[in-house]
Amino acid sequence: MTEPVGITSLPNQRYKLVTKQGGEFTLLVAGESGLGKTTFINTLFQTTLKSPIDNRGRHKRGIHSTTEIEIIRAELEEKNFKLRTNLIDTPGFGDNINNKNSWQPIIDFIDDQHDSFMRQEQQPLRHTKHDLRVHACLYFIRPTGHSLKPLDIETMKKLSTRVNLIPVIAKADTLSPNEISEFKNRIRAVIEAQEIRIYTPPIDLDDEASADHSKQLIESMPFAIIGSEQEYDNGKGELIRGRKYPWGIAEVENESHSDFRKLRSLLLRTNLLDLIISTQKLHFETYRTLRMESGENTETNNGVTTTARKLHNPKFKEEENALKKFFTDQVKAEEQRFRQWEQNIVNERNRLNTDLDEIQQKVKALDEQVKALQLKSNKR
Amino acid sequence: MLDPLPAESNISTTSATTTVESTIKKEDQDDIKSIKKDQDQQLNEQVKKENVDEVERKAGEEKAEEEEEEEGLGIKQEHINGNHNINNKQQPTPTINLPTPDIKILKKKLNGYVGFANLPKQWHRRSVKEGFNFNLLVVGETGLGKSTLINTLFNKDLYSSSSSTVINGNESPKRRDNVEIKSIQTTIEENGVKLHLNIIDTPGFADQINNEDSWIPIVDEINSRFDSYLEFENRIDRTNSNNSYFDERIHALLYFIEPTGHSLKPLDIEFLLKVHKKVNIIPIIAKSDTLIEDEILEFKQRILKDIELNQIEIFKPKIHNQDQDQDHDDKNFIQNLIDNIPFAIVGSTNQIQTIDGRIVRGRQYPWGIIEVDNSDHNDFIKLRDLLIRNFLIELKEKTSKELYENYRTNKLIKLGIIQDDSVFREFDPNLKQQEEKALHEIKLQKLEADMKQIFQQKVSEKEKKLQKSEAELFARHKEVKEKLLKQIKQLEEKKKQLENQRLNPQSNIESQPQKTRKGFLR
Repeated sequence: MTEPVGITSLPNQRYKLVTKQGGEFTLLVAGESGLGKTTFINTLFQTTLKSPIDNRGRHKRGIHSTTEIEIIRAELEEKNFKLRTNLIDTPGFGDNINNKNSWQPIIDFIDDQHDSFMRQEQQPLRHTKHDLRVHACLYFIRPTGHSLKPLDIETMKKLSTRVNLIPVIAKADTLSPNEISEFKNRIRAVIEAQEIRIYTPPIDLDDEASADHSKQLIESMPFAIIGSEQEYDNGKGELIRGRKYPWGIAEVENESHSDFRKLRSLLLRTNLLDLIISTQKLHFETYRTLRMESGENTETNNGVTTTARKLHNPKFKEEENALKKFFTDQVKAEEQRFRQWEQNIVNERNRLNTDLDEIQQKVKALDEQVKALQLKSNKR
Repeated sequence: MLDPLPAESNISTTSATTTVESTIKKEDQDDIKSIKKDQDQQLNEQVKKENVDEVERKAGEEKAEEEEEEEGLGIKQEHINGNHNINNKQQPTPTINLPTPDIKILKKKLNGYVGFANLPKQWHRRSVKEGFNFNLLVVGETGLGKSTLINTLFNKDLYSSSSSTVINGNESPKRRDNVEIKSIQTTIEENGVKLHLNIIDTPGFADQINNEDSWIPIVDEINSRFDSYLEFENRIDRTNSNNSYFDERIHALLYFIEPTGHSLKPLDIEFLLKVHKKVNIIPIIAKSDTLIEDEILEFKQRILKDIELNQIEIFKPKIHNQDQDQDHDDKNFIQNLIDNIPFAIVGSTNQIQTIDGRIVRGRQYPWGIIEVDNSDHNDFIKLRDLLIRNFLIELKEKTSKELYENYRTNKLIKLGIIQDDSVFREFDPNLKQQEEKALHEIKLQKLEADMKQIFQQKVSEKEKKLQKSEAELFARHKEVKEKLLKQIKQLEEKKKQLENQRLNPQSNIESQPQKTRKGFLR
């Protein structure tokens, strides 16, 4: 009979505030080229976010770029809700003959963002923080039907300790349903055996529907996806996104064709907030704690941590080696010169010794002559 | 401002969608300002101004692009000159002044279903699960009905009668040296939503004969709560404080003004000025049933005038005129709340039956009943709307993002921590590359210099050594040779002598004794 205090309004207040503020989401796509990373991004947001036009102005500063990280920043609006979206692409990954350390630029990027955020957070004035901490990392697996490659395993291991890792089977329209489930099983087995910690949606025991949804998502991992920016008539007058083959259309959003919808739900509709918060509370905090504990390359300047930059560019290493080689060569040349010099000294010594020997001989001869003369004169 | 982009053919077919590609270019300054404003809605005016300044600064930079170019050339020079700095361990990261990154932001309105618009809903769900917390500071002279109002607001007997501050006639008033800080904690739940409430009461405020220092314990309390949050933030391991109610910062201050009908007292003004930068102040006129309607209006005017003249900042909900989402009713509702500040309040938990049979919370006088929950009688409902039902989260946000930040900034600067603005740059892979290249070049130069130095040193050492042994060799040779030659000379002389003797024995004086000796022996 007494009026309620109005506590029920609090979640609505939060809702309103978030609606007003909008959100920020950073998604990183990793995987060998040709697996449809770009297409996936455009499919996910149903708009062309990445196109050649967007890239053109990028290099106008005249840097000859070997950038292994590409960032697309976008402010997307859906139903009046604004999401600042940062999409990180990693071209060039796994494209070399020797891909040792080819994950390094990606790992560095993720660490750099944590590091940068940490340092921004430590400043006295910090309301202009830029945040590119990666909330979710999609790792594209080639649909070989066999198993994970060593490069996949190494990279995923490295990623899984610092980011919400979501493995996906790319271009799933090249595998039959049986092959997919077989492939998934194999991948899951490897993930488990290698102790790769992939992102798992939390199961809310208080809410059955949401718990079921989470379980479904977990069971479908790694998501087998199809991406497409093309729309086709499905024969019923509806336009659907898909890939048209002579034998039919592989539909992006058809649950029996691909796991795209599940992945989209996980990334955006149901678990976006969890991805963001777990990045902050788990991955960022882990990084920060390690960084502060190790104190390695770190000097504390009144509580503000500064970090020595690490340089991984293979070209740098090459240049360094070239420089070292240059000096090694010079050293060798000098050594050669010194050896020659030493030889000369030895020769000279020998020559002089011979010279002395000759004189010595003379001395000896003289000495004998003298002795002989003495003897003769004594006899007399 | 909106330029449809013809290249986006798949989108321009749908009329409802407008695609805008907006590069932050300096000529669209207005555009930037509006973006900036959007992003910084939560920040105070000062900060906004700074942002605009920054944009203008950036624009200035662009104009002076030539200079920037020169600066770019200057960098290399600096690196070479600054080479010796590298040996200096105190400078692990040489700062490199590269131009501000060229950040592009695509803007798009999506047409189809994507799903991120669900984010507020996800927040809603999560907040229900996590629960809320709220720390409310209550300050006012004794006898203004603080306990009663708190009980009325939260519908709970938070101040039980045993803890009543009423003093029995026999007892001499309890002597307090100064203000006490008392905290009452409780959890209120409605429809599955939980609020962990923490009331921080300040009994004894303004009760002394001399109240000069009344504010000190209260300010100390506010500061120490900020300090412990700051301490937490700087902790190495922050992972175990994940629950939402460990935040102990004061989110709002209910300040009780005595219904004198005059104006604010000097103590009111002094106290409010001490805390207004640290806490959201909600001033209320206590026991407003002692004032008639006109008196309240006039009193409110005078209080507002005092607040304005003394530049005291009080909490006012924001109305966003540019915001289309906020509908008209909403705006009117907020305006109505603002217009009634400071709220004139009556508190009571007593249930009374009115003449028309309703049971209400109120106070019964011979001349009638004043109902708490009746906006014609007092502003209680407005206070509850502001404090709990509509702006509790905003009070918390403002505390966290403005008041605490402000406190923290001042504190850290006082501690001597120097702001490093270079860390706030937008990440740009190309810039990073340039930067790394520059660092690499420094490193390479140092390496080269080091190796060259060592090399030259070794070479010259070796050269000296060889020269020395060469010199030694010749010297020794010369010495030995001279010795030998001398020997030869001596021997030759001797030989000559002996030969001369043989040819001319008489002349040999030396042989004489020999002969005699020989002769003697014979």
